[in-house]
Order: sequence, then structure tokens, then C-alpha cells
Amino acid sequence: MKNKKKLSFFQHKGFLNPSKSSNIGNILLSFLFFSLLQLVFFSSNPVYAHKVSTYAYREGDKIFGECYFVDGSPCKNSKVEIYNARGDKILETTTDEKGKYSFTITEKGTLRIVISAGEGHKAKYKLEGIGGETVKKETPLTQHHPSINKDEIKQIIEEAMDAKFSELKTEIINLHKQMDKVTLRDLIGGIGYIFGVWGIITLLKNKKNAS
Amino acid sequence: MHISEGVLSAPVLLAGAVLSFGGITLGLKKIKKNEDLFKVAVLSSVFFVVSLIHVPIGPTSAHLVLNGLLGLLLGWSTFPSIFVALVLQAILFQFGGLTTLGVNTFALAMPGVISYYIFRRMLRGKNSLAFCAGFLCGILSLLMATLFISIALIETEKSFTALSLTLLTMYLPISIVEGIITGFVVLYIKKVKPEVLG
Repeated sequence: MKNKKKLSFFQHKGFLNPSKSSNIGNILLSFLFFSLLQLVFFSSNPVYAHKVSTYAYREGDKIFGECYFVDGSPCKNSKVEIYNARGDKILETTTDEKGKYSFTITEKGTLRIVISAGEGHKAKYKLEGIGGETVKKETPLTQHHPSINKDEIKQIIEEAMDAKFSELKTEIINLHKQMDKVTLRDLIGGIGYIFGVWGIITLLKNKKNAS
Repeated sequence: MHISEGVLSAPVLLAGAVLSFGGITLGLKKIKKNEDLFKVAVLSSVFFVVSLIHVPIGPTSAHLVLNGLLGLLLGWSTFPSIFVALVLQAILFQFGGLTTLGVNTFALAMPGVISYYIFRRMLRGKNSLAFCAGFLCGILSLLMATLFISIALIETEKSFTALSLTLLTMYLPISIVEGIITGFVVLYIKKVKPEVLG
């Protein structure tokens, strides 16, 4: 009885044309109800999700990386495989409880990191290589201070840089995580796209019927 | 529930693509009136949205799929409906992947179509029977989907039974939630627009 009243209210307001547009309004209403309910209650919880991403960076010979699901929760105890530029597997390790992994590698070329999270989920990351001998040119510094050799300077600089940039690196990981998150804007945009696609299909169908 | 790119082998991908293509053409042919198109479009976006919103259940959690609801309301048109949503998820969020579209579409849409034929007639009965139909349809569709996904992954993962068991335990609580939601949606539609259920 209550529902009938509600329906006649919509009809009166012109929301629903009982003879033609039939089911749409009601399905739309229930759909909106459920999705809003979910958005309100559940969207903020960190939970198991279905897309995995990974990000990695170099620190000298060491490589640090993190693997996480789309909502930012860590991808635990997953197999990490490292391939070189030629596609040969050179290393294998696993992620820890926080989804982090690290390994030491002498290879300076481009590395491909593939993480299998199970149940058909996979994350890939391409870590660009660094030029093997970037400091080829003799710097005047080494000539003036022959007691300190070039490699030592290089190491000192690298250590200082790593220390400085470590904060930046975690910040970059956080940014990566945020970029992978699904926001309300994405959802609304997606719904718009779907209606657009089906609108085009309707148009095509109508044209076909008319001709 | 979305298989990523680069996990499956070419024959599996091809089989999925061919099966889904058949389902999509059949589904598009079944859409006769413009009103039906609206229904397909709206349910397409329902599927799109619920797959992106994560619901916590117990210690772990996952997103709803609602392929049972789509199947019950759309029949064969579930195929194009799910396909459009999956294309957008793949393009916009890299959920699943473009090459795995066929496999993913089939694994999710086919259970819906099967449930459509099993439960369609029960909907015309009393309210309690209709709710049961919706409830069972929601549960069965999702569990069938996990079975299809396990079959698709048979090559990749070593043990088929282990994989299907993990997926089953992971999706069992969600399937019950889906069953309840599908049941209530069916009841609601039965009250306000019974002709939609046929």
C-alpha cells in the first residue's frame, strides 16, 4: 500500500510515465539506494581489493619496493620475480607482512619486476636502468685531492643523497597509492560513460529500426 | 574476480573471447524494445559501481559482484551489460585487462544466465518464494563465477582444488550478502513493477 502511494507520487510529479518507461525509475531508485548506502558506510575501510600495484626505487645496489592493493592495503607474502632487459629471470623474493620487498643486485640495466598476488592478480613495474659509468669525466676535485679517490666521493655523495631523498621516496609511494585509489569522482564519471555507451547503442538500434 | 593481464595463456584467452562474443551478440539480439535498453544500461552501471566499492565482511572483505541480480533481470543481455562495465573498469582503473575481457565477461555473465533459467519461474510465485529465488540466485551465481575463474586459472595455479577452495571460502560470505540483496531487490521490484520480472 505504501509503495503504491509512493509510486503515484512519482507519477504525479512526472518522474515516471507508467505506460512507457516502465521499470527504469524503480531500478534506478533501488540502485542509487544501495550504492549510496555502500558509499556512506563502507568506502573508507581498508580492505581486500582486486587490483595490485607496485612501485620500486634504487639505492645504490639495493632496490626497495612496495606492493599494495588498490585501496592501499599491503600485498603480503607474494612472490616477486625480477627480470632483466633481455627477459631472463635473475632473482626471486617475496614480500613481507607490510607488502615491502628489497634485494641487492649488481645489474644496472632496466629491470622488470613482476609480482603474483594469487587468484589471477599480477602487478608489474619497470625500473629504468641507471647509466653504468656516469662519472666518466675526470673532475678537478680528484686532481686537487689525490688522497680521496673517485669511488669514495661517489659513495659519500650517494649516501648523502639517499638519506635526503628517503623521505621523498616514501612520499612518492604514498602518491602512487593515492593515484590508484578509486574516488567518488571516478565512480560518477564511470556511470556517465556507461550511460553514454548505452545511449549510442540505443541510437544505432533506433536507426536500424527506422531504415 | 578480475583476472589481470599476462596471467592466462593465449588459448584460454581466445576461448573466453569467442564464448563472450557469442553471448554478447545473443544478448544484444534479445534487446527488442528501448525500455529494455535502459534496464541494461542501469544494471551495467550497478555492476560497475559495486565492483569498485569494497565491503568489509569479517576479517577480510571484497566487493560485491551482483552478477546474479543482473542475470535474473536481464537474461542473455547480462553479457553486453557486464562487458560494457568491464571495458570501462579495464580502461579507467586497470581492473582486469583488455586481453582478459573475454574470460572475465564469460566467467561473470554465464552464471547469471544459468541462474536466469533456473530461478525465473520461481519469481512469479508468492513473495516468500520470490525472495528465496533471489537469495539462491545471488549465492549460486557468485559461486559459479568462482568456479569459472578457477577453471580459467587451471593452468596458471598448480592445484585446481586448492585454488577453488580459497576462492570459495573468500566469496562465500559475500555470496550470502549478495543473496540477501538480490532477494530484497526482487521483492521490491515485485511490489512496485511486477511486469519487469516477467
